[in-house]
Amino acid sequence: MKFLCIPCDSPMKLQAVGPPEGGSLSVVYSCPECGYEMAMLTNAYETQIVQSLGVRIGPDIGAGASSTGSTSAAEPTKCPFSAMLPPATPKPLGEGGETEGARPGQAGEPIPVRWTAAAEARLANVPEFVRPMARTGIERFARERGALEVDEKILDAAREFFGM
Amino acid sequence: MKRYHDIVGDGGSGVLEQVAEQRTRITDGLAGVRHLVAVGSGKGGVGKSTLTLHLAGALRARGLRVAILDADFNGPSQARMAGVQGAVFVPGDHKVALPRTRNGIGVFSMGSMIPESEALEFESTADGESHTWRATKEFALLGEILASFEWGALDLLMFDLPPGAERTVQYADFLGPRTSFLLVTIPSEVARGVVARSVAALSKGPNRLLGYVENMSGYYCRDCNAIKPLFVSPETTNLEIPCLGTVPFDPELARLCDRGIDLAELRETPVGRALEHVAQQLLDSLESTTSASAHAAQELRPDRPASAHGSSELRPDRPGSAHASREVRAGREHPR
Repeated sequence: MKFLCIPCDSPMKLQAVGPPEGGSLSVVYSCPECGYEMAMLTNAYETQIVQSLGVRIGPDIGAGASSTGSTSAAEPTKCPFSAMLPPATPKPLGEGGETEGARPGQAGEPIPVRWTAAAEARLANVPEFVRPMARTGIERFARERGALEVDEKILDAAREFFGM
Repeated sequence: MKRYHDIVGDGGSGVLEQVAEQRTRITDGLAGVRHLVAVGSGKGGVGKSTLTLHLAGALRARGLRVAILDADFNGPSQARMAGVQGAVFVPGDHKVALPRTRNGIGVFSMGSMIPESEALEFESTADGESHTWRATKEFALLGEILASFEWGALDLLMFDLPPGAERTVQYADFLGPRTSFLLVTIPSEVARGVVARSVAALSKGPNRLLGYVENMSGYYCRDCNAIKPLFVSPETTNLEIPCLGTVPFDPELARLCDRGIDLAELRETPVGRALEHVAQQLLDSLESTTSASAHAAQELRPDRPASAHGSSELRPDRPGSAHASREVRAGREHPR
């Protein structure tokens, strides 16, 4: 979708993406010639359809554009949709691994496992929809070996163990 | 006044560029895969998944490098049948390692992530309107899987497709013309009619139709050691593509599938021999496609060295292995 400032006959530029709210996005465009501003406000259906494409709506902050809203401030390269719409994740395996350690016959919370920065960086290679499950499974693997920290050695060991 | 095509870019998001980047990631991820084969039908319940897994097993036994992507996200069955239900997805340096069966077949299946008592659900801002966006979301998910997992160097990547003639065509569009199709039917006119629709739809596109397999072509009675008829429908629907073989139903095969057990022990049965036959036919068909393509390319570009042709041949990854040189016996055809 493109927007044109008719009086200037000039393509409008995306200026900011407002914080997602109630299934709607506010995307602000302005004319680089006259400075006129307008906002595109999406309804929930439009939001969902675009989100389903798996694309980022809004400026790529890494490329130097600006944006507003806590979403992009916290995770500058992500689409505002990402915060508004949790990724496709099987609910029982959602972030936090609530099923971990809660198996019948086991009592109490699972022992927390830390992740080194390098291991976290590798985890970022996992698609969002798989990440919670991958995290949970690897933490379980680490605990079973008495490790309270996931580092690259643990990841390599898990890879070996699961025959990958 | 300027029109759409007079304006470069979309003013900030670069949606088209993002979509192009997604496609590039998929293409790059599959660069090491020699053949993409989608196993579809249009009809459900004809044994696409079972056939996919066991053809992969037969090809793997010959030393070929094979992986399966269970593209039936809403009814995944490969995880159970291949014995990778409890697989953990481990991140590598750049991509995610692919779970493997004991005999070395890479398998991605949603069944490794979602308990069988649960359905795949997506969060949505548009409750009750999933018919408007769900297919788009599933294909975006498929793209993410193709781009994010380590497919590596493979001879074959097999896609186990969901049912639905229209879905089969959507997968053809999404996976592109590199992907060849193998269709599965059963000896029922209802099933053949649906498969005929898939053939008609796929024939309009650029994807190669390798042929079809008639599954459940009789059943193997162990007591009689004979194949007996299972369906009595007269075959009046001509599918107009090659038949790569017939595979009888075997209750023992079904039992092993439910338990995720390797089928090596079935290799000497009529079902095992039929699967071997289909695997050979599949390879022959792929080879002829590759050879024809290479020959055509050679004709179009006579300056290209002839060695390009040879490099596209399927080769086992274990040279000299017994599997690699094993003679394949033809499957036992069900007498009509």
